[in-house]
Amino acid sequence: MALELSIITIRDIFQDEAGKKSRFSEEYKSQSALIILDKQDLVGLGSKEGEKLLVKNDVGSIVVSAKLSEDSHPGLAFMRSSPWSNQLVSDATCESGIPGYKGIKAAVQPTEPSAAVTDISEILSRIKG
Amino acid sequence: MVSAMEIYMLLPKTNCKKCGLPTCMAFAVGLLGREKKIEECTPLIEEKKYEAKLNKLREVMAPLESASETGLIIHPEKCFGCGNCVVACPVNVAADPTHCGVGLGPQSDKVILKIEDGVVVANNLEECKRFGPGRVLCNACTATCPSKAIEFV
Amino acid sequence: MTKMAICTGCSLLCQDIEADVSEGRLSKAKNLCRKGHGHFQASFSERTSPMIGGKQVDLNQAIARAAEILKNAKSPLLLGWSNSTLEAQRVGKSLAEKLGATIDDTSSFCQDSLMESILSGKLPSSTLDDVRNYADTSIFWGADPSNSHPRHLSRFSYYPRGEKRQKSYEEERTCLVVDVRMSATSALCKENLYRVSPGGDAEFIEAILSVLEGKIPRVGDKKKMIELGTLLKKTEWGAIFPGPGLLYSLQGNMEILERLLARLNEITVFKVVPMVGHFNTRGFYELLREKAGHVNRVSFQGGEIAHGPEQSVMAAARSCDAALIIGSDPLSSLPFGTAQALARLPLIAIDPHRSLTTDMAEVVIPSAISGLEAGGTAVRTDGVKIEFEPILEPGLPADEQILKRIMEAI
Repeated sequence: MALELSIITIRDIFQDEAGKKSRFSEEYKSQSALIILDKQDLVGLGSKEGEKLLVKNDVGSIVVSAKLSEDSHPGLAFMRSSPWSNQLVSDATCESGIPGYKGIKAAVQPTEPSAAVTDISEILSRIKG
Repeated sequence: MVSAMEIYMLLPKTNCKKCGLPTCMAFAVGLLGREKKIEECTPLIEEKKYEAKLNKLREVMAPLESASETGLIIHPEKCFGCGNCVVACPVNVAADPTHCGVGLGPQSDKVILKIEDGVVVANNLEECKRFGPGRVLCNACTATCPSKAIEFV
Repeated sequence: MTKMAICTGCSLLCQDIEADVSEGRLSKAKNLCRKGHGHFQASFSERTSPMIGGKQVDLNQAIARAAEILKNAKSPLLLGWSNSTLEAQRVGKSLAEKLGATIDDTSSFCQDSLMESILSGKLPSSTLDDVRNYADTSIFWGADPSNSHPRHLSRFSYYPRGEKRQKSYEEERTCLVVDVRMSATSALCKENLYRVSPGGDAEFIEAILSVLEGKIPRVGDKKKMIELGTLLKKTEWGAIFPGPGLLYSLQGNMEILERLLARLNEITVFKVVPMVGHFNTRGFYELLREKAGHVNRVSFQGGEIAHGPEQSVMAAARSCDAALIIGSDPLSSLPFGTAQALARLPLIAIDPHRSLTTDMAEVVIPSAISGLEAGGTAVRTDGVKIEFEPILEPGLPADEQILKRIMEAI
């Protein structure tokens, strides 16, 4: 039962700190492979904080952890700019040649409990093609 | 931060007055304000039936133990190292007007707040306006923190 | 031994950093925010070594192979630049000319449109020192400096005292946030958060223009918009800090923002100060604009200067046949499709630190970290030029030296 959401990418100091030290660490992964959801949306998905979610659109798909937002914004989700979020970003959505980092349309649904959060090595091998 | 009600629920709730206060609720408030110590509730300490509650009470009160007399608690794992508190603290500004006063890192030893290794640390707490008999409820550091890394009990 | 250092972790270029970096690690660092501290810490792990095809080589071999790849390319791409000094950027521009290459930065898109508006004088701007000394209203628009430029508010825009603002945030400064969400920065001025819907910033600007005319605004809480209008009119010296949230919403079209600033400046004084990401993004924009007429996306192919969407990394990754990537990790920061396109090209990565891009590169050339290990000049986000000396001597070449050696070998 998938929910259509619009994802906006944001900056986070803890994630930046981890990313500067290493793109390949568990810390960077745990700070980046997250989707921050409005409480209503999370409940509507039948999910809760910490559970794995599949986020998918025409560009790609990733498995990330759900994080509960302290703010109210049904229909909008937030992700920290990272190789994970970039798996969903289309190159250019208009003539100005600006990629769609803000307002990424994607479908979000719970995964099977055994599903693992997408690893950076998987992202690297997808980029390699 | 634990609340007075949460503390009250861990007390005998008999209003026996052995602590010198009229009700257990008053004692709970006194504990939170650190005007009273857990040991002053003698039934809680001496009677075996309250052992579980005593242990839980000690557990929830532990963060307050580490707070200074001013009630300042720092959570470094939440701190952004942004320096807002360093620059907003009136004692910092008075002690180092040419640095803290204008947004720079402190050069004076008399400051209360400074950023070390990416996060805020507190020293010289006896200089804090919340300290001592003439204390006021200054909240410059807590009100300017974007992440609740610095708070008062 | 403690030394005074500059932090090149973001575009604020803080210079009051005290650090002890002896014994190969960082101890007792003062005044570094969490982001800057991470930046300094990064210098002690996952450092790169010279590599060709995943195998360790010596520096000379790596440089020779890089030069060979670039010389043989028909349309090379030179990408990155925002984490390099002005001195290195100058060599980069010369290299691009020599090769007839396309040169572009990988920092956030849309910042270039804002910078072009500012540098051409269409948007009035100032230094951050001016902000500290004069601003009584600071507006963060689609920006969350608490996370992106952590010391922005404490060094310049809200908390410090200034010449005309001795009573600072307590009595003489107001901070406002315009955003789609409650950001960490908005927590500092809760009553002054103006929520816009995603993509709704142009409409919001029209609403402000309406209230400034004394008309009823079409969007937003009418009472709150009128209060905003009053605040703007009463402002003596205002500063607007546009972030990616606003710039992406406007799709890089600055016209309506220019209209707003023109109107505000009829009433009072209002400036726009950009918040670029990397430590020398502005340096690159200013340099390229001065030398080639455009802030980024320039091709020197056939001895002509071309500029446009075809020269942006999205198109160039698909049309170019080799890429030099300096101080940047585009495979992490670019959209998936463009990252894939780049990864298909022979890549040369000049970087102090391991990244997705260095892992994929044909040639890896290790470099000294600007600020910590290599000196030079950079331009702060507000245009102030800052010169710095390193505090460590790791024996690694600086970007500038590497680029010069590549140029000599071509």
